[in-house]
Amino acid sequence: MPLTAATQPRRDAFAELRATLANAHAEAAPAAFTLAEEAVLRTGFPALDAALGGGVPRGIIATLEGPSGSGRSALAARLLAGATLGGGLGALIESPRGSEGCLYPPSLAAAGVNLERLLVVPAHDAVSAARAADVLLRAGAFGLVVIPAVSLPAVAWTRLAGLAHRSNAVLLALGTEASDELRYFASLRVRLRPRRVRWSGVSGLFCALAGAELEATVLKHKRASPGRSAELFCRVAAGA
Amino acid sequence: MPIVCALVPAFKVEVARFTQPELRERPLVVVDRLERGHALAVDDAAYELGVRPGMTLVQASACAREAAIVVDEPARGLALWEEILDALDAASPLVEDAEPGIAFLEMRGIEGTPRVWLASVRGALNAVAAGALPFRLGLAAGKFVARAAASSRDGTIVRRGSERAFVAPLPLRVLDLEAYAIERLQLLGVRTLGELAALPHGPFVRRFGPAAARAHDRAGGIDPEPLVPRARALRVERSLFGEGTAEREEQVLFALRTLVARVADDVALAGKRCGYLRLTLECEDGTTHDVPTLLAQPTAQAATMFDLLRARLEGIVLAAPVSGLRLGAERLEEGGAERSLFAGSDPDPETVAVALARIEAALGPGSALRARVTSGHRRETRYAYEAFDARGLVRRAPHAGAAQTSASEGTLAYRVLAPREIGVRVERGRPVAVGGRKIVELAGPWRVDESWWAQALDEGALPYASDAYDVLLDDGTLWRIVTEAQRWYVRGAYD
Repeated sequence: MPLTAATQPRRDAFAELRATLANAHAEAAPAAFTLAEEAVLRTGFPALDAALGGGVPRGIIATLEGPSGSGRSALAARLLAGATLGGGLGALIESPRGSEGCLYPPSLAAAGVNLERLLVVPAHDAVSAARAADVLLRAGAFGLVVIPAVSLPAVAWTRLAGLAHRSNAVLLALGTEASDELRYFASLRVRLRPRRVRWSGVSGLFCALAGAELEATVLKHKRASPGRSAELFCRVAAGA
Repeated sequence: MPIVCALVPAFKVEVARFTQPELRERPLVVVDRLERGHALAVDDAAYELGVRPGMTLVQASACAREAAIVVDEPARGLALWEEILDALDAASPLVEDAEPGIAFLEMRGIEGTPRVWLASVRGALNAVAAGALPFRLGLAAGKFVARAAASSRDGTIVRRGSERAFVAPLPLRVLDLEAYAIERLQLLGVRTLGELAALPHGPFVRRFGPAAARAHDRAGGIDPEPLVPRARALRVERSLFGEGTAEREEQVLFALRTLVARVADDVALAGKRCGYLRLTLECEDGTTHDVPTLLAQPTAQAATMFDLLRARLEGIVLAAPVSGLRLGAERLEEGGAERSLFAGSDPDPETVAVALARIEAALGPGSALRARVTSGHRRETRYAYEAFDARGLVRRAPHAGAAQTSASEGTLAYRVLAPREIGVRVERGRPVAVGGRKIVELAGPWRVDESWWAQALDEGALPYASDAYDVLLDDGTLWRIVTEAQRWYVRGAYD
């Protein structure tokens, strides 16, 4: 539309309105952007929950991305603990013969997961993992379904996203890097990286792995502001 | 009330001998699995050689080299035991299934003398093939004394009033006391039930707790615990034949829906709910296909039964059209599990059961598992998987509240990797690089060595000895690597 004397005041008014809203947004308290308690699955790390706007929103596909040793599995275990406490159910789809192996059950128990309420489904390929996730999300009885970040076509992720939304569950994909399709359909993407590994004792026989300092960065968040990060510490549980 | 105890000592051993008669001549040890298994049951000969339940397979083999090792078959044992319980129904209407190998029958109201009662129970057992197991029968006024009578000698009858004298010489281990309590009593000089019964009741219970009260009563031959009869094995069965053949899935499901409705009506009319469905598909080429389905909760709802059966049928491929269907409802029970008033947010066990059935139909049997933590000296033995059971999800008491984990620290998870051999460069006895990646930091070695059993092992069994290290590689990977027999493997990763 050509700029005329009639349209200029309207444009100026819109520009002033945008500036006012931007200022109000910057000045608003963080609580204004915190998701409601029942709408999220808390990670249990206060700093990360704050960065996520309260926790991992339910009804979405979320990813935890990072190399081995970045703490993806530790964070997934904390989310499973949150899902299985209080009578809920969680599901873990994994490929025992794959490069990532399977989560060690005593580690899950040490993280607080109620193993009696955790369904473990061994899936040997991407199609099996997708079928298992489809069945579990359709059931509507599992609050969190963890799946490896397998390569699936867009139509499969579309279906899984719809099922997650309908069942108000979280479909959590763990992997080194999300595929292009997964990046598109995930409503939440968190990247983890290790910062420092802590050891107790002198190197060698009298040394033991004590834990790892990690950094989690929110790459994408459709329901809160992305770009925030949090520092976490995960220790090695005794006996696990 | 007169109670007969029908007892098979070392039931798992006898089941193994029943299915493999050639094992009768050798000492026998029943284990849970061959690879790093444990002894579940032993016969007298193996016991004399020093084998005890709970020993590892290596230990058991070391004690009794000539013993036969057999893997337990729980399904076979349960099937035999069900056959026996059904046979015992002929001797008494009230039969309690205490555990596989032990049953109690109440004989009150049945005409005859104690000898006649024992003979009728023996006759009922002889009528079935499983009755060939070496049963011992005992009769007494209570379950505990009846069991003690059967254990001592087959056909023992303990007259009313002589229970205390009968159990007096028995050792303390026949009571279900905790090991520390038995040890304390033995230190005090009490070794038999007679000596225990002589102790004053009040001070004994105050010293060892309320659970010891029952033990003290039993030591005196008193057992007020009532017999809990099992539900009679009623069956409801319907079939659908002679109405053409079904070539497509929709046709089979249509016929199945009709059949399920009839069976559900029969179950409801009987005032029961069923916990087990057995569907048989008969095909035009004469083959049959059985689809057994265990229900998470006993039900008489046709919709639930149909959903479960449909989920079970999803993964089945038939070679010929279906010419008939037969559906049986088993394990009929009075009533069913009551849902708690506060269980609104709990997952519905029936919904979960349908999901589990669909998972198994899609991915194959054994795809719906649950992990549990076990005890073991190596990481690989500290966990096991079992079938996920939706029946355990019903809760009958309100939760205290959803307690969320919230702490500033988390727990580093360990991932078990499929063992694969790796190349490790070692300098001065320490690994310094793995597959071209430098080791930045290292902890270990931690040694596990089972070779001290080496001299007693059977041929072909290799002792396990390994050194484990936790290593941090230069790309940030945290691995657990292990060296065995001069080869290196990666066993797990911390993530």
